[in-house]
Amino acid sequence: MFITAGATVASSALDGTRFSGWQWAPWVLGLTLIIVFTAISMNSGGGPRGRLGISGLSGRDRAAGDRFDGLAAHRWHGLVMVSRMMPGPAGRRWLAEAESVLWEIAAAQRATAVRSYLLSGLRVAAVTWAYEGLRRVRPGPRHPR
Amino acid sequence: MGLRLTVQVQLVLQALLHDTAREMYGLELSEETGLQPGTAYPILLRLEHEGWVTSRWEDVDPRAEKRPARRYYRLTAGGAVQASAALAGARRPKDTALRRLAEGDGVA
Repeated sequence: MFITAGATVASSALDGTRFSGWQWAPWVLGLTLIIVFTAISMNSGGGPRGRLGISGLSGRDRAAGDRFDGLAAHRWHGLVMVSRMMPGPAGRRWLAEAESVLWEIAAAQRATAVRSYLLSGLRVAAVTWAYEGLRRVRPGPRHPR
Repeated sequence: MGLRLTVQVQLVLQALLHDTAREMYGLELSEETGLQPGTAYPILLRLEHEGWVTSRWEDVDPRAEKRPARRYYRLTAGGAVQASAALAGARRPKDTALRRLAEGDGVA
């Protein structure tokens, strides 16, 4: 929906410029990828994320995957990557809560639970960015952290 | 931003309404509703944004407990009233819908 809306807006805005038809599409796609990768790399330097790093149960989040029986480290890294697509505090909270649940859930159900977090992660990212936008427009107490 | 009362949202509200004074953490809610924890999280986030639910981190020493702190959720006073009214007005999820939900998204 957002892509369609964005494409329509971009198409209208660039109508009459040197970009005719859909020639602008690769440029917009490239620019979007650059912005996303820049945002992720800027976010990734903020120290340990997730409750393990904060709580001191484990020094670094890279070790967290190894601490869960039945959970491959790459799946944990997937969660960390998704959390970095969210605004800082929202991403830390999402990851910490995921970690808390994964810690206590039965090992046999852990992989399914991780998959559910990964599947809903992008939706959570979109929602939390929307809340972040609202918070910036009208600061107030109604924004979960 | 309005709250859409999907079957999943109704399940979460029913679980929280069962005892409004009781705080529930993610795994508990997941087990009670049959939803995967990753599915319940965005619902709780939306309910919290709407002011129906409040949450807090458990105040424990993770080293002593040997587990990370839990995030506890409970309905606010206003949220409990709104949730009851919303559930009363909502179409009750059919057994088939719940069964499909449990099969496709259940924890167990």
